[in-house]
Amino acid sequence: MNAKERVMRLVNHQKPDRMPCFAANTAATYDQMEQVQAFWPEGHENGEIMAKLAIAAHTILGFDAVRVPFCQTFEAYALGCKIKPGRGVDGVEGVPGIDHPPPYKLDDTPVFPDDFLSRGRIPELLKAVRILKKELGDEVPIVGGIVGPFTVAAALLDTVTLLKATYKEPGKIRRFLKVAEKAGTILAKALIDAGADIISCEDMTASPELIAPATYRDFELEYQRKQFEAISVPKILHICGNVDLIVEWMGQTGAEILSIEPKASVRLARQKCGPGVILMGGVDTATTLFLKDAETVKRKCEESIADGVQILAPGCAVAPGTATENLLAMLEVAKAHQTF
Amino acid sequence: MSLEELCQAVESYDTSMAEALTRKLLDEGFNPHEMISALTETMNKLGDMFSRLEIFLPQLVLSGEALTTVVDIIRPKIMESGEPGPSRGKVVLGVAKGDLHEIGKNIVKLMLETNGFEVKDVGYDVDSITFIKEAEAMEADIIGVSSLMTTTMPGQKEIIELLKDKGLRDRYKVVIGGAPTGQEWADIIGADLYCKDATSAPRLMAELLQQ
Repeated sequence: MNAKERVMRLVNHQKPDRMPCFAANTAATYDQMEQVQAFWPEGHENGEIMAKLAIAAHTILGFDAVRVPFCQTFEAYALGCKIKPGRGVDGVEGVPGIDHPPPYKLDDTPVFPDDFLSRGRIPELLKAVRILKKELGDEVPIVGGIVGPFTVAAALLDTVTLLKATYKEPGKIRRFLKVAEKAGTILAKALIDAGADIISCEDMTASPELIAPATYRDFELEYQRKQFEAISVPKILHICGNVDLIVEWMGQTGAEILSIEPKASVRLARQKCGPGVILMGGVDTATTLFLKDAETVKRKCEESIADGVQILAPGCAVAPGTATENLLAMLEVAKAHQTF
Repeated sequence: MSLEELCQAVESYDTSMAEALTRKLLDEGFNPHEMISALTETMNKLGDMFSRLEIFLPQLVLSGEALTTVVDIIRPKIMESGEPGPSRGKVVLGVAKGDLHEIGKNIVKLMLETNGFEVKDVGYDVDSITFIKEAEAMEADIIGVSSLMTTTMPGQKEIIELLKDKGLRDRYKVVIGGAPTGQEWADIIGADLYCKDATSAPRLMAELLQQ
């Protein structure tokens, strides 16, 4: 059974040969970059280099899927946000982020540009997916990343402005959520046309660590559902942090797969969402994967599997400085689980 | 009309009510120190509730804004009375190089200032050397660095290394925080304190300075 068969069988609730292991978020590391000679920042901007680096997740780490892009700025940039290139210590490149000032104020009406898919680095992202499809199409599934409505809306307005509005002027945020949802949905469709097999939606701003759970239920759920209804392939919904207070509603969005961090309770997710949803997760990226040794990584993975994860995955975006050994350790664990 | 009503107005982030009540209370000769004290308790309570997710970040931010407005009105009265009260410590506070996430740092700033610390906010995406320069300029006690991404955590380490290179390590306490960081990371890089959340920052930093 190859990786694509393995993953798609699980997603379709059939038995794979063993537990799949792959990332819903970026898994690119400096070591992988060295090994395949594809680096940042070019990997964020150039389709060929992006694809070359993404493939490393399969060829070097052994992951059962590859994922692009490596950051969360594609929609925001195309909608008019300022982007700050990633900057690390010792001149090492990191991940670009959304910069100030935001393009809109709360009383504005945001515009969805007709040429959205031609803007920013989106054409290169789609090119990367086409390259991945050509290289890996029948063997390894391609995960295309989009950003969730609340998070894109936060980029349009600035996060604090959006947070305050959720309490003081909630009526005004819908028009931003509408444009934000449209951006992710249109990008998702283009990613699918280019060859993506799975869409992974990251929605960091929707975490209870940022917005009230009631806000998720009363605002985000509606737009997330609408977005997922329009996406024809399996969807992963990833929200960072402890999502216990909203996991019930995450389960109602239409996502086939929920990707959660170890901070959140996998058992609670199963209880709240029922047997139909697939749970993905496994090991904390900032502490365990980044700072601990391979044995600890394996132990944490086993704990998560005992709690009920069905796809073993880094809990969130992999720190680019993570040791390859630690990521390989995850595969070892996944390979040992043939019934789960 | 009372101090309690003022605290309630801050808690329910009714800034215009809070402003009006503040001015009235001051006009009636209310002790500005007592007002700050009560407001500090309110803010600390809200911070505690947030750390348990009994209330959520938007409320903390909005109440923080109401509080800041109120404190700006009260502060001149405290200056006038000639007894500003002791500063509990001087802190340079910022977000590590390459990192654009400011919200957490801003809540820490709010809690520290509310609790009597003097804070120089150096913003986000701050070069490691800038933290040190600002600490020197301010004659700070503490350098506080936040990192919200694993890619920017090394900036916290770099600050400590630079302090050592310059022979300044003993002059400042280095405090770190931010979602991906933790006690282990603090131990690895030799930070003096790891703050799990904003609400514990004033107490822990005060304890640190007493050591």
